[in-house]
Amino acid sequence: MDKPKQEIIIASANAPEQNSRRDFMKKTGAILGAAGIMSMVPMGTRSAAWAAGSDAPELKEVNVGFIPLTDCASVVLASVMKFDEKYGIKINVSKEASWAAVRDKMVNGELHAAHVLYGLVYGVHLGIGGQKKDMSVLMTLNNNGQAITLSNQLKEKGATTGASLKKLVDSEKREYTFAQTFPTGTHAMWLYYWLASYDINPLSDVKTITVPPPQMVANMRIGNMDGFCVGEPWNNRAIYDKIGFTAATTQDIWKDHPEKVLGCTAEFAQKYPNTARALIMAVLEASKYIDDMANRRKVAEIIADKSYVNCPVDVIDQRLAGKYEDGLGKKWNDPNYMKFCNDGAVNFPYLSDGMWFLTQHKRWGLLKEDPDYLAVAKKINQIGLYKEAASQVKVAVPKDVMRTSKLIDGTVWDGKDPKKYAASFKVRA
Amino acid sequence: MKRILIIDDVRDRAAWLKASLELAEFDVVGILAWEQVDERSIQAASADVIIVDANAPGRDTLEQISLMSTTLEKPVVVLGAQKDQQSIQEAMRAGVSAYVSHTVQGEDLSGIIHVAAARFLEHKRLRDELKEAKSQLVERKLVDRAKGILMEDHGYSEPEAYKRMRNMAMSKGKRLAEIAEAIIFAKELSA
Repeated sequence: MDKPKQEIIIASANAPEQNSRRDFMKKTGAILGAAGIMSMVPMGTRSAAWAAGSDAPELKEVNVGFIPLTDCASVVLASVMKFDEKYGIKINVSKEASWAAVRDKMVNGELHAAHVLYGLVYGVHLGIGGQKKDMSVLMTLNNNGQAITLSNQLKEKGATTGASLKKLVDSEKREYTFAQTFPTGTHAMWLYYWLASYDINPLSDVKTITVPPPQMVANMRIGNMDGFCVGEPWNNRAIYDKIGFTAATTQDIWKDHPEKVLGCTAEFAQKYPNTARALIMAVLEASKYIDDMANRRKVAEIIADKSYVNCPVDVIDQRLAGKYEDGLGKKWNDPNYMKFCNDGAVNFPYLSDGMWFLTQHKRWGLLKEDPDYLAVAKKINQIGLYKEAASQVKVAVPKDVMRTSKLIDGTVWDGKDPKKYAASFKVRA
Repeated sequence: MKRILIIDDVRDRAAWLKASLELAEFDVVGILAWEQVDERSIQAASADVIIVDANAPGRDTLEQISLMSTTLEKPVVVLGAQKDQQSIQEAMRAGVSAYVSHTVQGEDLSGIIHVAAARFLEHKRLRDELKEAKSQLVERKLVDRAKGILMEDHGYSEPEAYKRMRNMAMSKGKRLAEIAEAIIFAKELSA
């Protein structure tokens, strides 16, 4: 895309300040590039400049964190397959050891953005369990593809489904331990929702702990837990290692649920909108590439590497291709396998998706009071930036900022009355 | 004297840290490996500050423990993430966790730990104040509503309605908001 000359931007964007700007230009114009000038232009004018076609990213290099999970694929491929170069940036992917580190590094600026749990971004924005920091969701990275694994010990006791687990928990009293990956994160919410839909209170009937994804399988092996909810490939890995089985996939809990997002601080999105847009475009390109099923084997091969997920290709490849087996002898092709684009249905940052996590944070006592659900979601989810980016790479944008979903317990979530929805659950904190 | 718990799987690093903290006159109450970290072990250590390695995957485990139990909420000093002093300070301004380079010497560390502990307390105080302010607001709303009911149903003036509620609260040994709530409930019952 052609860059307009610097003076055009300055003159049209800053009419009242023209004189001082011109003086300034005389002194420093020669040494500053377009990016330097752009960062001095206030917010409102910058989007005007975007509309005029100036999309030079303010930053040339963007540091993006990820956790070793199958759904880090679009972020990793945007870098490895050089979709980033096409949009004038270089993505430096950074493998992180914990979600706490992802959060802290985004907050202190060491990471510009990250592959991150949807609920975590909302939790940080509201200051749940730590310092409050205004956050942004640039796009959703994937739907589906997480699961709940139960241990072989539970299988021997006959607990292979939610209903039979409930029977066991009621009849054989002991401390049952279930793990998720972060207190405000998606896996905590899927696990709690699933247990609660079988009338097991995740906070009082069982014990819940947090364990980093790559360590789930090892912890189950040594008997530290009865079940866990985590992203792939770690549920498939538990089957491969013969220590557990899949009792439910998260697409069983909520078909096409939102999962990881491309998150950043509000400050980053405001200060570097062109960079944010370039980042969204590069990751959208990667998402489209991954959703071509012919490419999935190659995707698995790339992310299986030690620098990324660090797991055998075959363990990643099966479920990435939609080929499921549950470790109890059942095999199926899941039409609701992990999706990365689905012509934009995955990536649009629906306000109803963001609000859902708030309703669950309220349900489980992580939020003491009802927040202004809609206002928070509107502030965090960068629908404007996303739409501009999506239209550039020809990814469809849905008409409505809400969507309607029916969850495993039959309740319907449409984003219309979040306060009522949050209060409607019988099993709660 | 601040009581410090170190969580680190690298034993000799933890030992070195313990030694330098003790030189700076801190009380190191324990060194835990990550696999030992759970509610009980954190409780038992009863530390003022927890020091962990920034790149330890177990940090998320600690997040859950401190979030689910307010008594176990501790300032966490995170070692090894940043290289220069300025970014350390930026990080500390940004949050409760303090980021400190592993190469920081004992003396520097003591300052950082004090700052981390102080920042944490400040943050907690602000949050508690906010909670308090919110509950006061709720109580005031209850009292206003009850006053309105008394004025409408009994024709009292506003000062009279308030006086009656206050007297009742004093004679029953209840809080004004509780009396107000009772009036509202009674009204709802007859409505």
